[in-house]
Amino acid sequence: MSIEDFRADAMRCSRCAYCKWMPLDLMKSWRFSKGCPSIEYGNFHSYSAGGRLITALSLMDGRSTVTDKVRDTVFMCNMCGSCDVSCKICRYDMEPLQAMRELRVKLVEEGHLPAALAKCVESLKTNHNMLGAPKERRGDWAKTLGIKDLSREKAKVVFHAGCRYSFDGEQSGVARTAVAILKKAGVDFGIFGATESCCGGRSYGMGLNDPVKHCAETNLAKWHAAGVETVVTPCADCYYAFKRLYPQVAGSQIKVLHMVELVEQLVRDGQLKLTKPVTMKVTYHDPCHLGRQGEDYVPWNGKEKKIFGQAVCYDPPRPRYNGAFGVYEAPRSLLQSIPGVELVEMERNREAAWCCGAGGGAREAYPKFSQWTAGERIEEAEATGADALVSACPWCEKNFSDSVRHGGHKLKVFDILQLVEQAL
Amino acid sequence: MEISRDAYRAIEDIVGPEFVTDDPALLDSYAFQYLAELIRPEHSHFMPRPWAVVMPRTTKEVQAVTRLANKYKIKIKPISTGWYHWAAPLKDNEPTLQLDLRRMNRILDFDEKNRFAVVEPYVICAQLQAEVMKHGLNINITGAGSSCSIVASACAYFGAGPSSFSMGNNSDNLLGQEWVTPAGEIVRTGSVSSGAGWFCSEGPGPSVRGITRGYLGSRGGLGTYTKCAIKLADWPGPASLEVKGRPPGYRLPVPENFRVYTIGAPDWDSFAECYYGIYDNTLGYIFHRQFNLAGADLATALWLTYIDPTKTLNDVETAAADPEIKAINEKARISFQLILAAHSSDGIELQDKILDEILTATGCYKVERYCDKDMAEFTNMYLQRMGHKHCNFIWAGGYMGSWMQAGKPDWVKTYVPTAIETFKNDQDSGLLVQCGGDALMGCGSTLAGGGYYGFEQFVSYDPADIKSVKACVKHMEDAVVTCREKGIPYGKEYLYLQVAWPDEAVWNALARAPQTFVFDFQRKIKEAFDPNGLGDRNYPWLPEGWGKSAASAQKE
Repeated sequence: MSIEDFRADAMRCSRCAYCKWMPLDLMKSWRFSKGCPSIEYGNFHSYSAGGRLITALSLMDGRSTVTDKVRDTVFMCNMCGSCDVSCKICRYDMEPLQAMRELRVKLVEEGHLPAALAKCVESLKTNHNMLGAPKERRGDWAKTLGIKDLSREKAKVVFHAGCRYSFDGEQSGVARTAVAILKKAGVDFGIFGATESCCGGRSYGMGLNDPVKHCAETNLAKWHAAGVETVVTPCADCYYAFKRLYPQVAGSQIKVLHMVELVEQLVRDGQLKLTKPVTMKVTYHDPCHLGRQGEDYVPWNGKEKKIFGQAVCYDPPRPRYNGAFGVYEAPRSLLQSIPGVELVEMERNREAAWCCGAGGGAREAYPKFSQWTAGERIEEAEATGADALVSACPWCEKNFSDSVRHGGHKLKVFDILQLVEQAL
Repeated sequence: MEISRDAYRAIEDIVGPEFVTDDPALLDSYAFQYLAELIRPEHSHFMPRPWAVVMPRTTKEVQAVTRLANKYKIKIKPISTGWYHWAAPLKDNEPTLQLDLRRMNRILDFDEKNRFAVVEPYVICAQLQAEVMKHGLNINITGAGSSCSIVASACAYFGAGPSSFSMGNNSDNLLGQEWVTPAGEIVRTGSVSSGAGWFCSEGPGPSVRGITRGYLGSRGGLGTYTKCAIKLADWPGPASLEVKGRPPGYRLPVPENFRVYTIGAPDWDSFAECYYGIYDNTLGYIFHRQFNLAGADLATALWLTYIDPTKTLNDVETAAADPEIKAINEKARISFQLILAAHSSDGIELQDKILDEILTATGCYKVERYCDKDMAEFTNMYLQRMGHKHCNFIWAGGYMGSWMQAGKPDWVKTYVPTAIETFKNDQDSGLLVQCGGDALMGCGSTLAGGGYYGFEQFVSYDPADIKSVKACVKHMEDAVVTCREKGIPYGKEYLYLQVAWPDEAVWNALARAPQTFVFDFQRKIKEAFDPNGLGDRNYPWLPEGWGKSAASAQKE
């Protein structure tokens, strides 16, 4: 695909601005009615999905050129996909999120990748992670845990910790919790430890094509060699990369599960018993890559066709990713199965969730914007009266924790697995 | 051509450098407007590019920018949530500042007892509705949908919507406004102008509402509206809309004191009689012919597909050929949606009985499939929140509303066959969506209490296909010619086309209007409030001598 493939999308944009809002039907207040962090922070129409489609058209038609401001409008975005959900309430022929990524690809190819993101990509090449951490340290979190090392042994299930849980000392406890849960449930699994490699998903969101393909091929080769049939990860970004991107860029057919899906299933099947009360009022934040972007990948290689003269559809029918079938219920069911936990919803939940602010390279390239986005979510969580904000993604949790710390909030931030651990 | 550095720096001093831009790509995101391709040279999707986009935060900033624009002789074009080609600068090579009002986004006041709210231009209908429903109140959501600005619909357009039938248009519900004139004066109208609060549009104090808006509203052509008070209506429903289901077809359960129906009619005469029956008996919280925007041949197939989240437009083709769906479609061919509401079960039962009698008397009926739980809940969602309004664009991304002449049902039914025939003929080329000649949609009234309404023909075309764009233009021209030949007043397409015309052609058209004294009077208003010509002809006026004066019109 290229941005040229989305020329018709741009010309068909009605500039209705639904992309700026949460789905209008779900709106419950003035305060928490917005959908797109980028337009809320950047303000000019170009910071919206519709605006970016117009920018693409303007650039393709030679009406304008890429300036620093244009680069900011393209990259100061979490790629959270809220716009995609809202746009598709009324449209079957638009793919704003895909189009925005292709616009990034164009800018990257023309040499406009923001410097902070270029640094991440360089780190991915040299250290196999995007955090700039030495690759040798990747397996440190699991050194003393006695987990099967799949670089030497075999297992049907691989636990992929992901970069944040591997390298961030504040967060790697979640990875240890996850493997403890897997052990307790009797799952036969292994890890790649120091030889685990980044999923590459974040580079894709930044507008690069090659790194994720390379990561996919590398990881899939290792997994196949170790006899892996299922990959389990506690990271929503990795989950998205494995589930949606790997089939697309490398033909992956491996089964992908987020830890919440697996643990919820184990609890439901009685293989895990959550018995200890965890007396806490919590609200759950749907990570974009587990929620609205967490739908199953459906291969498609078709073309546009018209019916009834001019109505636009596709031959064969094009899969519709609009957030309708993301992973929403498993985390909620899991939380509700923990004795003592009271789950309350934020106004923007499931496909309408406000982003944590960490995605799309925003955390690295536009940290103020990223933190502002997280701060908005913290306020929404606090408005529910919850004691804690719970999520299922290390990037969300990191951004929220930073925001809570800087903003002096009392709200606690947990990974859902931390609550499960307390209940075991 | 670009804005001078002096002027640009002066604007930066007013709003801050981060809230002004003259970057060409960013300006293009304002030049790109819905319908542009129908009227621009070579069917470009871009209207003329503004010289700069400015984002004021306060009325004082709007005033300061406007005064600066007077100094530098730059036109002013405000935009809030706006779309339509007339939201952009209208003429090439005419220096224009686009005022993007999205930072003016607060609900300033809410008076539950006196039932009004005061809002800034970037407050949208859905936001205010969500807030006031918590207090048992509601607002009329404009037909353009709940993503639209209340200020724009009330002050600068006419603001009709499905609930206008019981609540009135937003232009009627306007209880006062704050207006920065093109000359840079701040004018408040209605009771607020005498310090008495926002409760009344006609004073105590000056009432220039009619002067600034005319019939259609000035559509950004005569200064900037920075606040307005809007009248609120009764809401007998729950404090919060507890929505169910997956996108796109969200559903809103129907409370016990509500009814949601799709009413079918055997012919247009029966439709009109049924309308009168509902109007005479003061039934109807919402009255709208909504689903027919998809065209009478395809509507049922589309909406039954739409409410299934696993399906896509491809499935409509199969559904449209399904005999069962075809049969439902025939029952719904001439139909409208009706929502009844009451404060008690007795009240709603009484309304139900009256409606049944009206249906019996007129030969109309409830279309069963549309009244089933799933479709009724979807209908309730659609019309209460108006959050699916841009399904207008669902077929191909382009929709142009033609016709929409308003009047009494007995009159409307006379132009309906003509509108259907004209559209059907133009669909034969295959360059417009072939959904049947009747894609007439419209709210049950543009007056509170009903009695007056019109239909807009939903012409769906592909904006990415030049042949389809040209076919839409042809339909617009055909509609104009047909209206002229049959003595039907021109519809919306005529207004749209005028955007491309030179001034003289527009004045020639206005000079043939039935009441030219209005445009003669509006020239005087423009001269008084816009001495440097910063507005544009979205606020229509006639040069001196082109129209009758009010005095001569009165003598006649």
